[in-house]
Formats: sequence, structure tokens, C-alpha cells
Amino acid sequence: MIEIPELAFGGLAAGTVSALALGGGLWRSRRERARLRQEMTGLRHQAERSARAGAEEADRVRRAFVAELEHLVTRRMPAEASRIAHPHVPVPGPAGPEGAATEPVLEALRTAILQERKRVDAAARAGMRGTTREIQASLYRLQDILHGLQQRYDDPELAQDLYTLDHENEQSLRRAQVAAVVCGAWVGLAREESHLVDAVTGGQARLAGYRRVKLHNHLEPGTALVSHAVEPVAIIAAELLDNALRHSSPDTSVVVNLEAVHNGVAVTVDDAGVGMAPDERAAAQRVVAGTDPIMFSDLGDPPRMGLAAIGQLTRQFDLSVDLSTPSPYGGVRAVLLVQKHLLSHIDPALRPAAASTSPSTRTGEVPRPEPWAEHAHAPAPGALPPEAEPDRASRSGATAEGSAHPGTRQPVPGPEPLASGPDQPVSDADRPAAASDQPVETGVDGLPRRRRRQVSPDQAAMIRPSAAKAASPARSPEEAAAALGALQSATAAAREAARSEGTAP
Amino acid sequence: MRGHRSGRPLVPAYLATSGVARPSRNSLERLSVLTSAAGPVPGDLPAAQQALLQSLDGGSLTVVEAAALLRLPVSAVRVLAAALIDQGLVTARPPVPSAALPDHDLLKRVADGLRALKL
Repeated sequence: MIEIPELAFGGLAAGTVSALALGGGLWRSRRERARLRQEMTGLRHQAERSARAGAEEADRVRRAFVAELEHLVTRRMPAEASRIAHPHVPVPGPAGPEGAATEPVLEALRTAILQERKRVDAAARAGMRGTTREIQASLYRLQDILHGLQQRYDDPELAQDLYTLDHENEQSLRRAQVAAVVCGAWVGLAREESHLVDAVTGGQARLAGYRRVKLHNHLEPGTALVSHAVEPVAIIAAELLDNALRHSSPDTSVVVNLEAVHNGVAVTVDDAGVGMAPDERAAAQRVVAGTDPIMFSDLGDPPRMGLAAIGQLTRQFDLSVDLSTPSPYGGVRAVLLVQKHLLSHIDPALRPAAASTSPSTRTGEVPRPEPWAEHAHAPAPGALPPEAEPDRASRSGATAEGSAHPGTRQPVPGPEPLASGPDQPVSDADRPAAASDQPVETGVDGLPRRRRRQVSPDQAAMIRPSAAKAASPARSPEEAAAALGALQSATAAAREAARSEGTAP
Repeated sequence: MRGHRSGRPLVPAYLATSGVARPSRNSLERLSVLTSAAGPVPGDLPAAQQALLQSLDGGSLTVVEAAALLRLPVSAVRVLAAALIDQGLVTARPPVPSAALPDHDLLKRVADGLRALKL
């Protein structure tokens, strides 16, 4: 009997224990669940909060980006477009940090506009080039006709009209030629080797105010330009003189000096005009340097072609023009430097410079239009007897002396004054004799033939060693290197020009 | 003696006379003979006048010859010569009038006679 209560007690105890254990577990799990639920609610709140914040952020970014795009389209792109033509227009930066992504858009826009601008400009220049070329050719034909008429008719009234027409024609020709050169055309005329003073005087003749130009020629007689440099130098001289005449008072004169310098010949044009401000001067210097490709649309309306044409020519023909110093006369001083490799020598006795050009102030002068052979073979009626020959020698020496000092009007007493000049390297007394002793090549028909670039020993002694070197056919290594270098730089320049035409991708 | 110049002249004719084509005197004809007068030459003569004076130096030339020599039209040389005459640097002599020239037939007959003598 004892086992039953014990058993029951035992069972009860076990039941109690298990109940206690279960109850504890149950309580614990309930607490756990509550904690979990609480945690879950917290998390859910947090997630909701962050989702709301995320949506707000996304909205803000979207709005900022729209604003940025609007800023790009309404402000920055137009500014960028107008900056191509007007470099001083500021382009506003991006409105916010999001705008960094729009930079490539602007970059692409810039490239596209530049390409298109180059293409349009090249098309405009090509059209202009064709037209001006035709005009130039017809004006040359007109010039031929006018020169023919001038030779044929010498009635003063008619000749006066012909001179006026010729001058007008020269001016039109200059305009057409300059426009063609600016548009990238060739100068349009092949000339033969000519005296440098002829080229500059020819340029002077193309201007309305040519009478105001005072030219002083301090070059050795016979200083010439190689054939391809003649027309460019004439154009540049004309344009520099035109600027000088245009910007100075009509009662002042424009002074041109031709001087030999170490590297060649300098043509200095001084005017007594208003001058240029330093920034104008810098801008003009940039244009005449010819380093930047010419944009037709940059030249203004009406286009200012003169300096641009000079820039084209200096680049193509290896000339240099300097406008960086003010003139001592208060205006602008322009210096055209013609390098040695563009210079040559013409025997002034065989081919004198044009009659209207200023005679050289150098005393080593061969008398210019002295018709020795003509006098000897076919004496004109009333020609002097041969014993007058020494007299002639002294007279021509005297005129050379007179031209050496153009400002001083002094009668030259006799055959003596030749030794008086301090800067006379060679005595003048034997000069006409030297000129008459020069070997003259005659053809089979007995007519004289022109000699090209041959210098007699007498003259070789007279002219500078550099000119003698230029005249001799053999080239020194330096000259060969300079010629090849010129070729190379010209090729590179032409390639660069082709690229700037907008043909490159 | 002088090289023949081909091509277009660089310096137009009107530059020689500063655009003037009317000479200061009308006495000069194409065949008027110009002779330079002895005398001091002023140093400030215009270049073309100086060139003409030099071409006459030691001799005489007709206007047309001087024009050919200086490669200028006759009208320009007339202006230059007239200016030089005004300054007393050049004298001009009228051309031999065609009436004073011996008759062409007479010359021919003389030549024929000479040939006949020789034969």
C-alpha cells in the first residue's frame, strides 16, 4: 500500500517539476517573442523612415538634375556658342555638383560648332576666291590694254585720262588681289626677278595717296628679289603703306626706308599718324605674324583684309613683318624683313631699276640708264665728239654725288668731289669706265642678251659678300640647309592650313 | 646692251610724273632732240627727271628714244623733259621739218648716179 501514495507523490512531483519547467519555458518564449516583435516594429519603422528619406533624396536629385539641364540648355550652351566667335564671353559653370556630368556635352558642342564654322568659312572663302580670281584676271587684261594705249597715244589730254584709268585700275587690282590672298589663293601673278626698289615702288603705285610716300633707297644698286618673292613684297608694301596713309593726316608724308641689315633687307614704313594703342598693336602683330589660321568671319564687316593678307603672305613666303614698335614720328612703324634667301642681284648696268624709282643713296652706283652702246654705235644728231668722254665720266660721278645727299643742294664744282664723301668705300672715278668695260654677251644676230645673275669681278668687289654668295650658283651647306628647312616648314604650314580648313575629323 | 624686259612692268608710268600727263610746254614733239645743258644738277630732282637727265648725259636723244630707253610712254617723257627744260637743265631743239628733208627721188637719183659712176 505504501507504493501507491509514493508513486502518486512521485508522479505529482514529476508533474509539478515538468509543469514548472514548461511554464518557465513558455514564459521565456513569450518574452522572447515580445522582444522580437518589438524589434521587428522598430525595424519596420526604420525601414519606412529610410524609404521615405530615399524617395525624398531621389526627388531632390531629379529636380537638381532637371535644373542643371535647364541651366545647360538656356545658359551654358548659348554662352559656349557665342564664345567661339567672341572669346571674351564668359561661360557659366555648372549650377551644382551634379553638373560635372554635363561637361562632355559642352565639349562635344564646342567641337561640333568649330568644325561647322571652319566648314562654312572655307566654303565662303572658296566662293570668294573664285570670284576675285576672275576679277583679278580681267583687271590684268584691262591693264594690258591701258598700257598699250599709253604707248600708242601721247596726246596730253588723252594721256591724262589714261593715267587716271591706269591708277584706278591698279587700285581695284590691289583690292581684288588682297581679297584673293586672304581667301587662300596664290598671289596671281608670276614675275621675273626684279629690283627690290621696283617691288616697293610698285606697291606704292597701287595706292590713292602714293604722292605722300617718300622713299629712301639705301640699298646697294642691283639688290633684287627672287622671282617668287616679288609680288608678295609688293603686296605687303602696298598694304603697309595703305595703313600708314589711311591713319595719318593728308598733309604728312609717309617715309619708307630700304636698308640692308645683317639678315637681308629691311623695309621700314613710318607714318606720323595717330598710332595704335598697345593692345591694338598686339592684336595687329598677331594677325601679321600669320600663325593663326584666318577666319573670314573674324575680319569684320566690311572685312579688314590688309593685315590678314600680310599674315597669309608672311606665312607662305617666309617673310616677317613687325608692328611692335611705335614710330618716332608718333605713328606706327612697320618693318618688313626680307631674308637673304629671298634676295638676289641684278646687274644694274644691264637691267636698271625702273626710271621712277628712287636712285640708291649708296655711292657705289653704276650710272643707271646710260646708253653706252647706243651712243657708240648710233650717235644721235648733235652727239658729242669722243673727247667729251672724260667729261661724261666726271658728270655722272657728280650726279651720283648729288644723289648721295639728296637734302643738300650744292653745286658740285668739278671732277674732284668723289673723294670727299666719308662713306665711300670705292672710288667713283673709274666707275663709268668699269661699266663700259663690262663684257656684253651678244647673240648671233648681234643683239644684246641679258645675263642672269652674273657678276663681273669689279662688281663682285663692290657688292657685299653676302650678295656675292647669293649670286654664285654653288650653295654653302648653311644655304642648302636653309632651303630645305624652308621647304619643310612650307609643307608643314600647308598641311596645317589644310587641317584648319575643317577637312580633318 | 640692256636686257630686254619681259612681262608686266611693276612700276606704272603715272608714277614717273606723279600722275601728270600735261607738260608745262607744248613745244615738244616725238622727234624733238633733247640735250642736257651743262650746269649744276640740283640734288632733289624727282627720280624720273634724274633718270632722264642721266640718259641724256653726254649726248642727245629724241623724246621717243629717251622714252624707249627709260621704258616710259612718250607722254611721260614729255612731262619730264618739259620740267627739266623749265629748270634750265635740258635744251630742246625742234625736229627737222619734213619739208626741209631732201627729196626722196633726188636722193635716189644721186645714188643711181653714184652707182653709174662706179661701174
